[in-house]
Amino acid sequence: MKYLSLAILLCLGHAQLVGAASGRIFVTNERSNDLSVIDGESLEVVQTIPVGKRPRGIGLSPDGAELYIAVSEENAIIVLNLDTLETIRRFDAGSDPETFAVHPNGNIYISNEDDAKASVFDPRTGEQLAEIDVGLEPEGVAISADGRQVIVTSESTNMLHVIHVPEHTVTANILVGARPRAAVFSRDSKLAYATSEISGEVKKIDMERHEILAVRKIANEKAKPKDVLLSKDETRLYVAGGRANQVIVLESDTLEPVKAIPVGKRVWGLAMSKDGGRIFTTDGVSGTVSVIDTGRNEVIKTIAVGKFPWGVVIDD
Amino acid sequence: MKTTGTSATKPLCLMLLLLAAAGATAAHSPASPTLRFAFVGEERAGAAAGAAQGIHEANLQGRFLGQHYSLENIAAADLEATDPAGYIAVIVAGDAALLQQVGRRFKDHAVFNVRAHDDALRAACAPNLLHVIPSSKMLADARAQWLQKHPGEEVSASAWHPDFVKFAARDLNKRYRKRFSLPMEQYAWAGWAAIKMTSDSVARKNLREPGELLEHLKTALSFDGQKGLDMNFRPTGQLRQPLLLLDAQGRLLGEAPVRGVAAPTDVDSLGLPACPDQPQSVPSD
Repeated sequence: MKYLSLAILLCLGHAQLVGAASGRIFVTNERSNDLSVIDGESLEVVQTIPVGKRPRGIGLSPDGAELYIAVSEENAIIVLNLDTLETIRRFDAGSDPETFAVHPNGNIYISNEDDAKASVFDPRTGEQLAEIDVGLEPEGVAISADGRQVIVTSESTNMLHVIHVPEHTVTANILVGARPRAAVFSRDSKLAYATSEISGEVKKIDMERHEILAVRKIANEKAKPKDVLLSKDETRLYVAGGRANQVIVLESDTLEPVKAIPVGKRVWGLAMSKDGGRIFTTDGVSGTVSVIDTGRNEVIKTIAVGKFPWGVVIDD
Repeated sequence: MKTTGTSATKPLCLMLLLLAAAGATAAHSPASPTLRFAFVGEERAGAAAGAAQGIHEANLQGRFLGQHYSLENIAAADLEATDPAGYIAVIVAGDAALLQQVGRRFKDHAVFNVRAHDDALRAACAPNLLHVIPSSKMLADARAQWLQKHPGEEVSASAWHPDFVKFAARDLNKRYRKRFSLPMEQYAWAGWAAIKMTSDSVARKNLREPGELLEHLKTALSFDGQKGLDMNFRPTGQLRQPLLLLDAQGRLLGEAPVRGVAAPTDVDSLGLPACPDQPQSVPSD
């Protein structure tokens, strides 16, 4: 029962998640080195803030007070106060930080692409808490809702590395299609879905047995699947199709295709509103964010942002 | 990994406590015998360094799967005295004559050609020669496509370029440069790719028999060569792949298939798509 106290702490962490939120959408633009702030009601860009060189990964603290941005070419993560949108801290995040995820306990899990490692940082202090060996070109990071499992995808080793928290031991290495980019857990943490960019596949994985349950090759040959999200009721999977310029909707159970929603060019990033009603995409080449109504699975608005929008989060 | 049997209906905190109490068990596979590659040819050329990079990466993956790889040089003079048994596959960095000699000696093995561009080798459709490096015709077709769009430019084609950054080519170039303090040129890329496609196949299918591996590579390969497209072999034994175009100073100009001339995914617009006695239309997957 050595982890009992930690488990209790995690539970307390969850209780603090509720708080007032602004509804704003934050988008990193990797070529214009800035952050676009979109108002959640009007769906208009209300602010554009310079943040540093090649901003990519973006995330919110569990209490909704701070915004984290990986500024890849500065090898750092910057921390913005969500009220003032001023940079209040920055810390070294290893070589070329790109994608990260925020754990319910507040720590950041980040892939260090050059080093075949995943690292854990405490963004409150900037301290590196752990470093974990994974495969080559680690990329996507997903954390289960219970906080117990972290998936890191390694793009050139073609694996999902399953890391257990708090031990930080790698408990499974699951081979998937070529160039795995991103993953998402089901709410009960028992399933995960992962995209593979080069093989053009989506896989459904049993996270208790670490077995692949289903595979779907995206029919559109141009599709380079990247981000992946589960609908709020968990019946649908939304996949950013990259050069297919579509968000592809699949049945989460069977991975049968449901619909392809045309969006902007080279769609990579996805974020869903907490009520599940909207999905925001980053369309890199078009320089836009597409807003999808998940009831109709249609784009209801296209918002011009900076150059090569990459990451997106919603403060709701 | 084993976990206690929790159901989705139980409260989150109870699940957390159960998981915390259960702990985790490591799931590493037991180690198997080392898989040995033979390398024949120019040991100091880029292909050898590329193959060494490939071995390093294969072992990086292998540490998660209990697989280990090694690379052993065989002098051309020692070929006839070498027992093919015990090797998983062979890499040849030499001319057509050497390649064919190795192909005969290792007749049940995958023999990777990472150096010879001869079209005749492709047209011969040998059952065990796998040409990772592009043929002369592929390079010529890439140049011709470029010139259809950009007349008058001096241009050459290559399988790889050290300044190529798209599709994570940047990452591979960076790893290679860090290891050897050299730019990665096309023969190095081919040496790397030969090892990497083998280790990826072994990892997925646990293939340990050279004949099974050869069959898998020829018929079922799905390989990420860090050039943006899924790669596999034609019936000629040639690896389907995009190519890069360079100017007279060796600077990177663009990619083939050249957009606007051929579809970006139509890699069979480059080179001989099928064996001479076969129909020309070949499915690409």
